[in-house]
Amino acid sequence: MFPYLGYAGKWLWVDLTEGKVESRDYDPLLAESYLGGNGFGTRLLWENVGPDVDALSPENWLIFSTGPLCGTVMPNPGRMEVVAKSPLTGIYGDANSGGFLGPELKFAGWDAVVLTGQSPAPVYLAIEDGQATLRDATELWGLTASGTEQEIRRLWGDALVKTAVIGPAGENLVRYAGIQITAQRSAARCGLGAVMGSKRLKALAVRGHGPIRIADPKRLSHLSLELQRRLLANPIFPAVSAHGTPGIVSLMNAMGRFPTQNFKAGGYENADRINADALYSRAFVRNVACFGCPVACDKVYQIPDGPFANTSLRSVEYETLNALGACILNDDLDALLAANRLCDELGLDTISTGRCISFAMELWDEEILNLDDTGGLPLRWGDMSVVLRLLPMIARREGFGNLLAEGVRRMSETIGRGAEQFAMHVKGMEIPGQDGRAQRSMGLAHVTSTRGADHLKAFPTIDETGYPDEGRRRYGADYLPELVQPLATKHKAFLVKDGEDFGAVIDSTGMCKSGGTFVLAEIYWPDIGAAIEATTGMSMSVKLLKEIGERIYNLQRCYDAIHGITRADDRLPRRFSAEPSPTGNARGQTIDIEPMLQEYYRLRGWDATKGWPTPEKLQTLGLGDVAACLWR
Amino acid sequence: MHLETDTDKCTGCRICENFCALQHEGAIWPTRARIRILSQSDDGPFAPNVCRQCDDPACAAACPVDAIKPDVEAGAWVVGEECIGCQACLDACPHHAIFFDAQLGRAFKCDLCQGEPQCAASCPTGAVALVP
Repeated sequence: MFPYLGYAGKWLWVDLTEGKVESRDYDPLLAESYLGGNGFGTRLLWENVGPDVDALSPENWLIFSTGPLCGTVMPNPGRMEVVAKSPLTGIYGDANSGGFLGPELKFAGWDAVVLTGQSPAPVYLAIEDGQATLRDATELWGLTASGTEQEIRRLWGDALVKTAVIGPAGENLVRYAGIQITAQRSAARCGLGAVMGSKRLKALAVRGHGPIRIADPKRLSHLSLELQRRLLANPIFPAVSAHGTPGIVSLMNAMGRFPTQNFKAGGYENADRINADALYSRAFVRNVACFGCPVACDKVYQIPDGPFANTSLRSVEYETLNALGACILNDDLDALLAANRLCDELGLDTISTGRCISFAMELWDEEILNLDDTGGLPLRWGDMSVVLRLLPMIARREGFGNLLAEGVRRMSETIGRGAEQFAMHVKGMEIPGQDGRAQRSMGLAHVTSTRGADHLKAFPTIDETGYPDEGRRRYGADYLPELVQPLATKHKAFLVKDGEDFGAVIDSTGMCKSGGTFVLAEIYWPDIGAAIEATTGMSMSVKLLKEIGERIYNLQRCYDAIHGITRADDRLPRRFSAEPSPTGNARGQTIDIEPMLQEYYRLRGWDATKGWPTPEKLQTLGLGDVAACLWR
Repeated sequence: MHLETDTDKCTGCRICENFCALQHEGAIWPTRARIRILSQSDDGPFAPNVCRQCDDPACAAACPVDAIKPDVEAGAWVVGEECIGCQACLDACPHHAIFFDAQLGRAFKCDLCQGEPQCAASCPTGAVALVP
């Protein structure tokens, strides 16, 4: 009997080759050492998917995993983690989404769903409370994301069914296909939608009516209300709540941290046409929240008139405004929103999609690509008529879209002719909307992230806009002023390591990084420890919790290491060190990550030559078995 | 006293449902919440729906065993032990704000949490508020 409350205490194991669905008990030791969510997925991936497994083969595992705080009353507890080997990078892969699916899965009685094998024909997994069955999805195959969700809801006669679906991009194994979560939020990165497509799994559909039992309801209620009170009192809460992530477009543009024209610049002269104010005045309809979130950073938008009249969408994020805006020199907001919606329907990660397009546009500019290569499509900066034609071609792997569907790294290898120097990726992952020339910690975060270029593993928000109060509260006055200065390198290795460990815990609990933990920065280690105790009944000191974060992050690095990653891969594209930023506060800046990286390895207790966790470090984290495998 | 709701302020976050269930059931359990968010679609608009504590409640009038009685201190109508599970109150309530617990075989509804309703205490936008 699983001893902890807060969890459902069971997970589903699905063999798609055999068509078998089984219930497994949640291992208490796994919960104590890895919590759930991200940690649960990392451990299972380490144990079951070795270096010889191709990410798109039946042997890869696809793990949907909630955590102990998912579906509780903590602020923003609606997140679900998806873990698999990534077909984009060939290393550890994960993606995370809010919405309502994670809590619904727990109401149905399951903490996680783990899928392996490959179905002979398209199927979807139907979960209704304690019952889980594979059902024929032949009629769903080929449908868009929202079309799939609507059809499942129609079949079930229940508009409250929560889904995770792939669109055509996932079916056609686009290497950066995302998984759409009810149906306009995305577990977008790492191409996990292609893993789902390779298994011929069109969707998960979940309906649950049961309870999530809480060990100490009074304590959890009191703590959650106190945290919510702190969030609402935070001076930047109104801005975060009113605008969500688009609210930082103008700030980042002024910093020179808003990637423009495939990272040639860090600021866009027409950013005010695609910023929060432009978006709000043009298309805002209403605020909508994920499960249990007081911030409600999501919005419903609708284009009122013009060629894209009545296009409605949700979850318009900073990253998409960058990737389908500044980075391709597009200032047509309506066309940007239409492209965003199209990506959601096709099941494409907007970040990687935008980066593949900006890469191709720069190659066109440099005359490395011509009309023969593109099948007659001119790739002029900002030409949205071409972008809107390209998106379905990518999702269906048609013509030139077939090359773009491979991601920036593979594109550069295939094209050759010097394309490599414009390929903006780390470890095969397209770089999201930050620039290390303007914010040192983000440059370091891009290279130390275990899933390739990423801002959300370390998520250094403290020095993003310079919040001395948050910096002082979390880390103490000794770290100021450098810690909160975007261009300082001192203490940034420390900030990145702490963020990675804390982030691994947050992604393992089912909490959100956007509302209170990193953005707003009110909820920190002691709060999460207390919430886990009140929810589960498990003892959870800050020391134990930090160890769990370190354990998870080190294990992800070890997973990358057995896939051939060494410190030689911990580097940024040469543009960031060779070409001074021309814009904003970052004008004239380049970035040298080497000193920060050395400091980072030292703080992590990693071997500075190989960039791997040392056997001693792994021993202290209870990962002796992993050390034996890595250092044999 | 009764709860007033404001559709324009509601974001559909379900915090009210969750705190309500936690208070009454010791669990997060939307199908046992006394307050429910109603919506035509995932995109809203969202309408919090909860007992109005009517002056002359149809649920109490419909009850064949007079199980629905006023709790004077809380200012709420509450379902007593006498409930026989006939569900006449569910049919009678024009607001669909009283529910049936099939396991216990009893009706359940908002009791204003002994005067400190958790939904109002936890709503971050003021979409649910207690008024005298």
